Amino acid sequence: MAESEEEVDVLVQRVVKDITNAFKRNPNIDEIGVIPCPEARYNRSPIVLVENKLGVESWCVKFLLPYVHNKLLLYRQRKHWLDREALVDITCTLLLLNPDFTTAWNVRKELLQCGVLNPEKDLYLGKLALTKFPKSPETWIHRRWVLQQILRQVSAVGRNRKQQQGEVEQADGGRSQQLSDHLARTLHQEMKVCSEAACRYPSNYNAWSHRIWVLQHMANGNVKVFHDELSSMRLWVSMHVSDHSGFHYRQFLLKELITDTDPSTSPLHHSHAQANGELSGAEAAGEEERQPSSTTVLQLFHQEMELCSDLIQSFPGHETLWSHSVNGQRHVSEPMEVDRASLPDPRDSKRLKRGVQLPAPPTLPSEHSFVSGVLDRCSNPEQRRFALAYRKWLDTVIGQQP
Amino acid sequence: MGTQVKDVIIKPDAPSSLLLDKHADYIAAYGSKKDDYEYTLSEYLRMSGIYWGLTVMDLMSQLPRMNREEIIDFIKSCQHECGGISASIGHDPHLLYTLSAVQILCLYDNVDAIDVDKVVEYVKGLQQEDGSFAGDKWGEIDTRFSFCAVATLALLGKMDKINVDKAVEFVLSCMNFDGGFGCRPGSESHAGQIYCCTGFLSLTGQLHQVNADLLGWWLCERQLPSGGLNGRPEKLPDVCYSWWVLASLKIISRIHWIDKAKLRMFILACQDEETGGFADRPGDMVDPFHTLFGVAGLSLLGDEQIKPVNPVLCMPEDVLQRIGLQPDLLS
Repeated sequence: MAESEEEVDVLVQRVVKDITNAFKRNPNIDEIGVIPCPEARYNRSPIVLVENKLGVESWCVKFLLPYVHNKLLLYRQRKHWLDREALVDITCTLLLLNPDFTTAWNVRKELLQCGVLNPEKDLYLGKLALTKFPKSPETWIHRRWVLQQILRQVSAVGRNRKQQQGEVEQADGGRSQQLSDHLARTLHQEMKVCSEAACRYPSNYNAWSHRIWVLQHMANGNVKVFHDELSSMRLWVSMHVSDHSGFHYRQFLLKELITDTDPSTSPLHHSHAQANGELSGAEAAGEEERQPSSTTVLQLFHQEMELCSDLIQSFPGHETLWSHSVNGQRHVSEPMEVDRASLPDPRDSKRLKRGVQLPAPPTLPSEHSFVSGVLDRCSNPEQRRFALAYRKWLDTVIGQQP
Repeated sequence: MGTQVKDVIIKPDAPSSLLLDKHADYIAAYGSKKDDYEYTLSEYLRMSGIYWGLTVMDLMSQLPRMNREEIIDFIKSCQHECGGISASIGHDPHLLYTLSAVQILCLYDNVDAIDVDKVVEYVKGLQQEDGSFAGDKWGEIDTRFSFCAVATLALLGKMDKINVDKAVEFVLSCMNFDGGFGCRPGSESHAGQIYCCTGFLSLTGQLHQVNADLLGWWLCERQLPSGGLNGRPEKLPDVCYSWWVLASLKIISRIHWIDKAKLRMFILACQDEETGGFADRPGDMVDPFHTLFGVAGLSLLGDEQIKPVNPVLCMPEDVLQRIGLQPDLLS
């Protein structure tokens, strides 16, 4: 067992190299993990690569982590010099073991800014870290920063293009198509990363709020993406009936679709990215889509309430489903009440008007009979508790509205 | 089909009385046991860790047992050129740790140990055009950081240095249909974010913007049959949420809407009788984070062995009185 300082030094340097080499040998590694193994087996590296899985034997972690951790901090205090390649390797090892070490991600941001790393490489490292630490806030934060770099690059190319218009129009068509494909691929990849993390940890707040951020910044204005998300999530939520975050995501999608009746003012077209002088992905790709009519949106809501009722009856006793009902009712019966109460923003008064114009059906009696039906048939105590709370909510909150 | 209820069962032999001496010994000994591995794993949040430990010690009237000089020197060496403060030496500055450092210095009545003007400049510099706050120079936006910014400035008496109206506008844009708040516009309501946003609205004098009945309803539904509180629907109860939910209810004056006696039983059951300290749930490993929020929760519930705690800043009320800060509660 390596114990003396020099021995640890040699051991750790070898392990960091082994990890780097594993990535070189197999660029398709798709999961990381720790292999429980309290004792070292002398003549074997603690880094194990089986198919696309990278494992590290647990005995070496307690040497490895403090060593790379301290190396990086000494570098940060300018007490120890590390060349760029060493920085890349050390931060990689460090972040796969402890992805919430903010400063290590910041070092990589600097490496990215000076061109030593490329954005795709860092998205990949984050994706791997999330296979073991699906909640890691700092990993998600770093991803958003990297994605913003990509959007900025695309937007810079877009501006360039506009300046040169008329001179190189033809050659330009191909480049524009490339950019649009690149963004579409990045968006798709990001959705996949979010889905995986959502499957690994239930009600994963960071994964779902990241997914919302991605749509807001990379797909705003693109109604097709929102519709595709809504339909692909249908099966997922049906199989994860206690995942409140997944259902909230559906509410987000529906709310965005409902307010998207006027492209010039709709939130789908208003992005923070634009405010920062960037172009959104959808815009750069020139993929504006027409929004659906309000009847289609109303249909979506009806389908949603129907799905929810079906799930409540098939899977009794899930607070998430009842809470989804409550929020659905809120949308149908009282659009944008929250905005009216709190937001002086003129953009929102427009949303408010549109919300009121929506032909909202009087659903209160049908909801009451649904609750009565559930209470008549069901003996599950949890289901009864939620049904009664829902009835009380209908009476107190919805029933009291002017 | 049976449904697995997401709650815990409190065993009859679970602790049911408050073991204050044990908790004080646990925190006093925590810093001295620096296992290399555990220490490095959590070093990225060291400054907040110190705030948790010192605050719970002060709430138990045991602050003098901690090494004041060492801690103040440590904080000084964590302030950067830009004015921001980092979690530990050699780490990058961040609003989260800037607030923790200022809170610690308030406990010690010694904010002048650092360059206060520079802290104020740092916080001010992180406000964005839309009123939101970035956590650090890399630009991540979150309502947590809005809270950190105004809490830091309120403790330093410098709230006028930022655009408060804009800051309020952003936080309100994160309000949801259920009356709760998320990390950004459109994000799901979450008890931790709700605590930050109600605390933020208290410090900025804007609590009337909250729909207190609606939000109170949502918060009360966090109480489970065991008495414990969770942070979102169908999550397990956790001692840290007994703080975030309870403090939010206190701020909007709806604390009487939950079963206090049952919550007290749940929190007490999360103590470790041998080691001292509180865990997230009965029987789990204890840590300083849950120890603070367990003790602070009991204080909000009216336990007289503990000093009264302020629900907005999670600091002893006597400390806030000393600096003359009295955050609003909804009347």
